[in-house]
Amino acid sequence: MSTKTTSPWKSLVQLPENVWRSVFRNPLPSSDLGRAQTSFTNFFLHLHPVKVHRNSLKATFTFGLGLISFFLFFILVVTGVLLMFYYVPSTTQAYDRMLDLRGTVAFGIFLRNMHRWSAHGMVAAVFLHMCRVFLTGSYKPPREFNWVLGVLLLLVTLFMSFTGYLLPWDQLAFWAITVGTSIASYAPLVGKEVKFILLGDSTVGQEALLRFYVLHVAVLPAVLSLLVAIHFWRIRKDGGLSRPEEEDALAADSAAQMEVVSGPAVVMATSAAAAEAAKPVLQKRHYGIQGLVRGPFTKIGNVPDRSVFAWPNLFMAELVVFLITVAGVLLVSLFFNAPLEEPVNVMHPPNPAKAPWYFLGLQEQVSYSAFWGGVGIPTIEVLLLLIVPYIDRKIAGVGRWFARERLLANSLFLTFVVVNVILIIIGTFFRGPNWEFVSPW
Amino acid sequence: MKKAPAKPEIEESEDAMTRRKALSWLSGFGLFGSLIITAFSNLIFIKPRATYGQPNRFSIGKPDDFPSGARVSLDQRRVCIVRDGDKMAAISTTCTHLGCIVSVSETGFACPCHGSRYDQDGNVTGGPAPRALPWYQVSLAPNGEIEVDKDTEIEPGSYLRV
Repeated sequence: MSTKTTSPWKSLVQLPENVWRSVFRNPLPSSDLGRAQTSFTNFFLHLHPVKVHRNSLKATFTFGLGLISFFLFFILVVTGVLLMFYYVPSTTQAYDRMLDLRGTVAFGIFLRNMHRWSAHGMVAAVFLHMCRVFLTGSYKPPREFNWVLGVLLLLVTLFMSFTGYLLPWDQLAFWAITVGTSIASYAPLVGKEVKFILLGDSTVGQEALLRFYVLHVAVLPAVLSLLVAIHFWRIRKDGGLSRPEEEDALAADSAAQMEVVSGPAVVMATSAAAAEAAKPVLQKRHYGIQGLVRGPFTKIGNVPDRSVFAWPNLFMAELVVFLITVAGVLLVSLFFNAPLEEPVNVMHPPNPAKAPWYFLGLQEQVSYSAFWGGVGIPTIEVLLLLIVPYIDRKIAGVGRWFARERLLANSLFLTFVVVNVILIIIGTFFRGPNWEFVSPW
Repeated sequence: MKKAPAKPEIEESEDAMTRRKALSWLSGFGLFGSLIITAFSNLIFIKPRATYGQPNRFSIGKPDDFPSGARVSLDQRRVCIVRDGDKMAAISTTCTHLGCIVSVSETGFACPCHGSRYDQDGNVTGGPAPRALPWYQVSLAPNGEIEVDKDTEIEPGSYLRV
């Protein structure tokens, strides 16, 4: 480390250490300053705040659902890129490539399983994440816009999954997309055009396969990544995850104590002894550059008392969620193969022809009324979701599950969730040939 | 102290700003307009002018290939050719509900997907189908063959006399 060292031999001896030090500026931290610097000097870690509130680390508060969604997306990108090495978006070759993945490609079937199950998992995780955010009142100001981004992310996730559904070019794929794009054609005025542009032809064929492929591997992942980046950035700019009001009151108390130190003249009423008592505790803190970040909760002097350093608390928690997610996907992929039906037969639609499970609620609605079930109600639902944080702005019951103050809002949301889940269950298990009611037993 | 010199500045700038404001609006309008035009051009680009699948105008053979009373479903073309005496017509066999292929049944047409049923003329008689099966224009080409044009929908019940 000494600057006097000029001998090449010595440089060679120190080479491993010097290379390591040039990449990782900090040794494993043993002090608070070190912990802060570790978060700041690492590209991947600096996305996180240096300190994080204890409430954000509570597993039963978030269930790690946002992280699970992100890690599933990560797995999807990795396995998806690998699958691209073998896939050809051609109606004559796509299905054969699926068989090749099963039969000849090393780990082919396993990668396809991982990709398929992660995709299903991501739809579920994103939806559950939305439920968590709603039921804990976390969409309220100042987090309104991040909620809007979240709703957009849900839509893009659904569209990602939908476009991927066609690529194997089997019976399931072909008819699911036929049904799905027909639903789109019920939109007023633009419906027919949307369907034509989406399919590139009047029926599902080669053009549709190519279009869905481009959307699936290029356009939508780019859009999703951009939205995810803004979504993450906003979490910090909006003051971290939501937390109960009591916690903020605690933080305000500590802020008041800070004022005792910084401006004793203002607080003549406070006993000098109390100020003296507060001093040593406060002075022990280290404030890095994070103090400059403006936001409702992260300013200097307003740092919540119940915060802990991101290193190692937050990073360990994230690692655990990551490992659980990967382990879950690997396990499911070991025991269950992704479905692959017979190759496309345009003449013989399966009866019933079903869309992917997350669209079966939609398809169930469509069986009652094509326009209202397929376009009208979903549009109203999405618009309501988008506008809800701008309507329901009262800051009460934020950061707690099923807060009493939010009984009405939570009940309405749960009704929306339960109705959709029931419709999906009916569409999945209780609908047989000709979409007639059947018993699954 | 600070406010005193600030005031005339604002008054001065209000006049001076008019041109600046106008130009700002104009450039903003230009940029936004370019954005709209770009988006619109992209939309035009991705809407195909030529399709590579089944052509929408095709010939189906001589009228004599279809005896009177015939109801022949051409599944590849997704159209059913109807001949009644010297009258001919082409009815779509794409279900108006969700795009499955309807099959010719005793009473008209039936969809295997969601149970929509149509009568002989394609009017809905049951199931979730929202509207009748469209009729396509048929014409007699100079070479004596019947031509179906799926881009032109005609009034149901209008036949070609052959």
